[in-house]
Amino acid sequence: MISVCHLYPDLLNLYGDRGNVIAFRRRCQWRGIPVSVREISLYDTIDFKEHDFVFIGGGSDREQNLIAADLMKRKEGFKEAIEEGLVILAICGGYQLLGQYYLTRDGETIPGLGVMDFITRAGDKRLVGNVVIEMDIGGLSVKVAGFENHSGQTYLGDCMPLGKVLSGNGNNGADSLEGVRYKNVFCSYLHGPLLPKNPRLTDHLISIALERRGMGCKLTPLDDNFEDRACMAIMRRLGFKKITGGSKMQGKK
Amino acid sequence: MKLRLLVAILAGKIAFWLSRSRGNKGTSLPGLVARKIYPGSLLDLASQVRKKIIIISGTNGKTTTSNMVAKMLSDAGYNIIVNREGANMISGVTTSFIMNAGVNGKIDCDFAILEVDEASIPAVVAEVTPGVVALTNFFRDQLDRYWELDKIIGIIRDSLTVLKRTTLILNADDPLVAQFRKTTGLTSFFYGVGRHEVSARTSSQAREAKFCPFCGAPLSYDYFHYGQLGNYNCTGCGFERPLPRIEALEPATTAGGTECSLYYNERKVSLAIRAQGLYNLYNALAALLVCLHLGLDIRTLLDSLYKYNPVAGRMERFNYYGKPAFLSLVKNPAGFNEGIAALHAVKGTIDIFIAINDNEADGRDISWLWDVDFESLDQNTRSFLSFVCSGRRGEEMALRLKYAGIPVERIIIKRNIKSAIKKTLAGQAGSAYLFSTYTALWPVHKIVEQLAAKEVADDQCVSSIS
Ligand SMILES: [Zn+2]
Repeated sequence: MISVCHLYPDLLNLYGDRGNVIAFRRRCQWRGIPVSVREISLYDTIDFKEHDFVFIGGGSDREQNLIAADLMKRKEGFKEAIEEGLVILAICGGYQLLGQYYLTRDGETIPGLGVMDFITRAGDKRLVGNVVIEMDIGGLSVKVAGFENHSGQTYLGDCMPLGKVLSGNGNNGADSLEGVRYKNVFCSYLHGPLLPKNPRLTDHLISIALERRGMGCKLTPLDDNFEDRACMAIMRRLGFKKITGGSKMQGKK
Repeated sequence: MKLRLLVAILAGKIAFWLSRSRGNKGTSLPGLVARKIYPGSLLDLASQVRKKIIIISGTNGKTTTSNMVAKMLSDAGYNIIVNREGANMISGVTTSFIMNAGVNGKIDCDFAILEVDEASIPAVVAEVTPGVVALTNFFRDQLDRYWELDKIIGIIRDSLTVLKRTTLILNADDPLVAQFRKTTGLTSFFYGVGRHEVSARTSSQAREAKFCPFCGAPLSYDYFHYGQLGNYNCTGCGFERPLPRIEALEPATTAGGTECSLYYNERKVSLAIRAQGLYNLYNALAALLVCLHLGLDIRTLLDSLYKYNPVAGRMERFNYYGKPAFLSLVKNPAGFNEGIAALHAVKGTIDIFIAINDNEADGRDISWLWDVDFESLDQNTRSFLSFVCSGRRGEEMALRLKYAGIPVERIIIKRNIKSAIKKTLAGQAGSAYLFSTYTALWPVHKIVEQLAAKEVADDQCVSSIS
């Protein structure tokens, strides 16, 4: 049984991000992998060690502040689980929460969980639009598409980006980097939602979650015709012809 | 000054005909042109309205509500001005006055009924003083433009608070709307829907208000109608659903529309409209309360309401060789969920068409599709024979349905809207339901009109849309 934990689905529910949990669950089910989804909200108890995949989305400012306070109480367990290789996907607001701090426009510093080395600053303009990034999935260069909508600008310290921005803004619109990757934690600004139309990434998350459980084996291929067509609808518009291929990515930071 | 107004009116009218002849609907350009020539155009013309200016805003139901008000007031013999659908920003509002003005700079108008986009309220009320403001509901809509609902609500509150003699007509069931009585301090009247058999004890994911707008404590609910609409109270400060002036009881969907009894002035009357869906009932209640507040007689109003035909894309009914086809605009999860609820109420089989565009006016971000409860369609799959997905983002729609558990062999992607509609209408099912986002609605409407006959109530009066 693969156990999925959706953090704060009732509060961090902007921009259809729950589609990520739907995609993860469906792609397990279609392969006959038993999967359970647990929704965790404020004040619920949670043992991160019991879970294989944790998802955290984005919300409005007010809700995000509530969550920051709640998550802070769970910090130690969360950090430990991350170091032990828990598979996590964090989007937008959820992503920002995992960093060192968020610097508001008024100069106020809102501390994050501090589990990874990056910071976020409120920007002057909102970064909105379709995005295509290129990332490495199991040694293969894959283009991933989504929609970004954030005013926070994230700058990475000593950590790896999720991918390189080919079109759009990504972390801050300046350094062509998108998201963060640390151990089995994947952070991104991409809504859309991210996983349904980027099935190679979804399957990668499923694979590493299974592997960690000792259930590792090659995943049964699925028919991804709809998935690829939905992804290509964005890619073609931004001038990209293929999802996979191109140069093998090397020498990343 | 006066001369500039005359020139502005003339230029606006010319702009209208020019853009019309190029195939545009000419809804915002005339206003834009007139305002360029004379920025006081709207202010001057609006001040000539003899009785009252009525503003209707909120996320869903603006167009239907204002058209219902327009129908009731024009049936009552008043001269009215209504802005055209989609022309709900300041330039569009200006257009409606320009088009109604004579070359002498005069308008002949008792009531102006203005549908105003939420974000345009500050600009509009700066030039137009409304006697009545009706608010329908607040849901997330087009998030890439209005990224936070709280912010939009705050903007509307600030611009209404400065008005002194305006009356608010508010939805009692939506805490985000009902809060306006207290936050603005204006005289307010409420409409609402009472508990009925399909009221739920819990609400699905698309719920905007979880906390009290005044003290931040969680809101507790007796029941939900949809989204955050229901009977709520705050455990912290006592904020609760206000007592409605008119309340709909036991609404029922009929083949032709919706029926319910209505509690008003301590007596019960019956209300029937020719539109399905609880959201259309809410629109009717809002419109009715606006007109009751203006002092019109309830019997006459109920009669007018019954004769009201839904405008394009609001569960508009067509007939395709004896088969009913319904067209609905969808633009956010709450609206789409209501459309799906209507599907569940249908007896017999259905072919479904969905057109999703992601142009600026649709909202470029379509991820809200993943917040719609398409999963509920899974319980009833034998009724839904086909799902034809079209528009610029038809592929994403198809993907959404696949992940909602709809068998892929029933999902068809057809980018071309015309062949997609043909396929849907020619399907095997007993009825067809068509859903479309904003910029696809007119093309879809045009094609459906070519292929199928529009059904209009027999005792139909002249359309009240200016
Ligand atoms: Zn309260």
